[in-house]
Amino acid sequence: MQAMQASCVKPRIGVYVCHCGLNIAGVVDVVAVRESASSLDGVVIARDNKYTCSEVGQKTIADDIRDFGLDRVVIASCSPRLHEKTFRALLEKCGMNPFLLEMANIREQCSWVHSGDSEAATEKAKALVRSAVARARLLTPLSRSEGRVVPKVMVVGGGVAGISAALYLGNMGIKTYLVERQPSIGGHMAMLDKTFPTLDCSLCILSPKMVEVAENENIEVLSYSEVEKVEGQVGDFRVQVRRKARYVDEDKCVGCGDCAAKCPVRVPDEFNRNMGERKAIYIPFPQAIPPAYVIDAEHCRYLTQGKCRVCEKVCERGAVMFDQTDRIETIEVGAIVVATGFQPYDASNKPQYGCGRYPNVITSLDFERIICADGPTHGKLKRPGDQAVPKRIAFIQCVGSRDEHRLDGAGAYCSRVCCMITAKQAFMIKEKYPDSEVYVYYTDMRTAGKGFEEFYQRGRGEGIVFVRGKPGEVREEEGGSLRITSEDADSGCILDLSFDMVVLAVGLTPPEGLVDLAQRLNLSRSADGFLMEGHPKLRPFETSIDGIFLAGCVQFPKDIPDSVAQAGGAAAVAAATCSRQKIEMDPLGPIIDEDLCIGCRLCEMLCPYGAIKVEKTDRGYKARSIEVACKGCGVCGASCSARAITMKHYSNDQIVAQTKALLEVS
Amino acid sequence: MESDACAEKDRVVVTVLDPKFKYEVAKEPGGENIKYCFQCGTCTSGCPVSELDSKYNPRRIIRMAILGMRERVLASDFIWLCSTCYTCYERCPQDVRITEVMNALKNMAVRAGYIHPAFRAQAELIGGHGRLYEVDEFTNEKRAEIGLPALPASSPEVAEIYGMTGLANLLSGKGA
Repeated sequence: MQAMQASCVKPRIGVYVCHCGLNIAGVVDVVAVRESASSLDGVVIARDNKYTCSEVGQKTIADDIRDFGLDRVVIASCSPRLHEKTFRALLEKCGMNPFLLEMANIREQCSWVHSGDSEAATEKAKALVRSAVARARLLTPLSRSEGRVVPKVMVVGGGVAGISAALYLGNMGIKTYLVERQPSIGGHMAMLDKTFPTLDCSLCILSPKMVEVAENENIEVLSYSEVEKVEGQVGDFRVQVRRKARYVDEDKCVGCGDCAAKCPVRVPDEFNRNMGERKAIYIPFPQAIPPAYVIDAEHCRYLTQGKCRVCEKVCERGAVMFDQTDRIETIEVGAIVVATGFQPYDASNKPQYGCGRYPNVITSLDFERIICADGPTHGKLKRPGDQAVPKRIAFIQCVGSRDEHRLDGAGAYCSRVCCMITAKQAFMIKEKYPDSEVYVYYTDMRTAGKGFEEFYQRGRGEGIVFVRGKPGEVREEEGGSLRITSEDADSGCILDLSFDMVVLAVGLTPPEGLVDLAQRLNLSRSADGFLMEGHPKLRPFETSIDGIFLAGCVQFPKDIPDSVAQAGGAAAVAAATCSRQKIEMDPLGPIIDEDLCIGCRLCEMLCPYGAIKVEKTDRGYKARSIEVACKGCGVCGASCSARAITMKHYSNDQIVAQTKALLEVS
Repeated sequence: MESDACAEKDRVVVTVLDPKFKYEVAKEPGGENIKYCFQCGTCTSGCPVSELDSKYNPRRIIRMAILGMRERVLASDFIWLCSTCYTCYERCPQDVRITEVMNALKNMAVRAGYIHPAFRAQAELIGGHGRLYEVDEFTNEKRAEIGLPALPASSPEVAEIYGMTGLANLLSGKGA
């Protein structure tokens, strides 16, 4: 009915110019914009409102739709990202098709960016409204399609954020897949000795959670696995997961360790930051979940040289399986929580501090392993160079943080946790070795958090010396000690001191492989390289893609409580998605005219979502749209050489009309 | 003079620090809270002595003490300049009790043999005469006129206290 009306009768358009308080009206002459709009062809009524999105503003539009018989609505206000949903819902409530709405963004694209030139901003606003009206005339009613909702969630990344998200979801009764790249879940938290500011043993508080994950009947742990491909949309994702060959049957292995005892191959132990060794068949750490051994194919003698198989012989349970291969599993879920964490900054990129060159310069993560009872030195503070107990220890803050000279150019941010990590580590040294001398070279001490400042204060009370001044370089002296020259800004003196060991408080950087993962999920990254949240304040768990949520350091460096909190939020929003019966999808995909399609496959090649497939038909090869996978980006429409593809809500004639109107001289 | 060492124009390089010094100050009555100082500068900004002589900077003295610049702190003129008005004491957000810290440092300085000339003069006057000024004949004549007993020109009791407390040795340079 409406469709017929739309095509036969001259459109009746209402235009609403929003003041947005002074956000728009403070720069743009909204009355002039309204007057200019009222003279446009097809415009029946034009108004300006203080706040169009308000109750009053919406009622005005509703009344006009009724009184003037409007069949198109143009709103000149903020970005459609903010209120397009609001106004589409309003149109629907008034009995109109929601796709007969057009918005002109005269705030973000006009008043905010041209605040210094009212006259030009007003002219631009007029042009944007003219252009929106031109498109509105050609809008056609569309109907939404419905998508199914798979009531399952995938959590990618098995650190403390992923573990927490999975537990929250599992406890809500939602089937959850926890995908972890490493052989065990646990992430960086499993590597820490203690946590600030309470000095809880890190693994003592984490491992019960890991066991809970393993025992929760709703959670399936896919360890040693990586996300390869993601298709579909909110409610209905199909994720291809590569299950890497472990060469050990997880269900049969009981973790007795007979295999590792006999394995002849020793390799550096990455869990202990390459201090110490493990075997080629190994378990990353005693509390690992799943509690199963894994064969490092890169170093296994049988897998590299074709003979050995000692582990297979000694395993009483027959758990070693050399015939295992990588396999791809496709899992359907309704929502995805990305919790792939961070990686510590590679301090060898700061050669002035000598990490990697001087054996007694280590990073904060190395220190965690050294001080940990389960680490390479069984908790004894020994410096790597000669295993001597260091008496004088220096910490250098902000290595790879607050650093515009970082090689990747993305190091301007503060990593947030390093001040407290150092305060904790320095405190632990003083606790175990009260006679040692501990100096912390800092830029600013940032200890915002519950109990943090008190902990920093306690550290000062223990006699840790905090020196405001970043050292320019660390020089090695004879005997492996290290000399640091710095300015002490507080006394005005230059300090030129010698230390036995130097710990670099390395920043947190985006995890390895995040660029690829972001591409696979179509997520944006912010300037710092971490994943971008839906809104910096109001949508911290969401992303720009519906149904994909964030938890933990993959969004930005944060400490354990903040990671767990975000995991809870992400789990809640993911659960909300999964509890919907169905999901309405905007009809933004392509319409393919098969008479025109020549089957050239250009669209198929260019589609970033695999949403177009060229199939063989009776009339030759023809492109077919896969609606559920399409995100409406328009690449197919723009690239079609035969002009066989029209985008539903962005047809060529609409865009041409819009562009022409924009270029008219008023 | 060493105590000027950290004046802003000079580039002073310190290669040896005494890490025990801060603990010693903290053990001295009044010095207990020195390690909590986080160098905010509230003390110096409100100090009436700093207002008259910007060289007096309680924040920097505490900083040097925490770092372990033992000699520079104890030999410094500055620790003697505190007028004990307690303004900083009241305002310090970390409750460092700066006035008391200055007293603790003065006591440590004296034991280390650093006595400011003005205080040495005072101590010697009291030790010699039992009071801060010498009693002369004129005073005693006036006292006699109104029926008061004459004051002694010296005070063996004070000298005894000097001996018992060790001040006599400190003044003579024999150490604590």
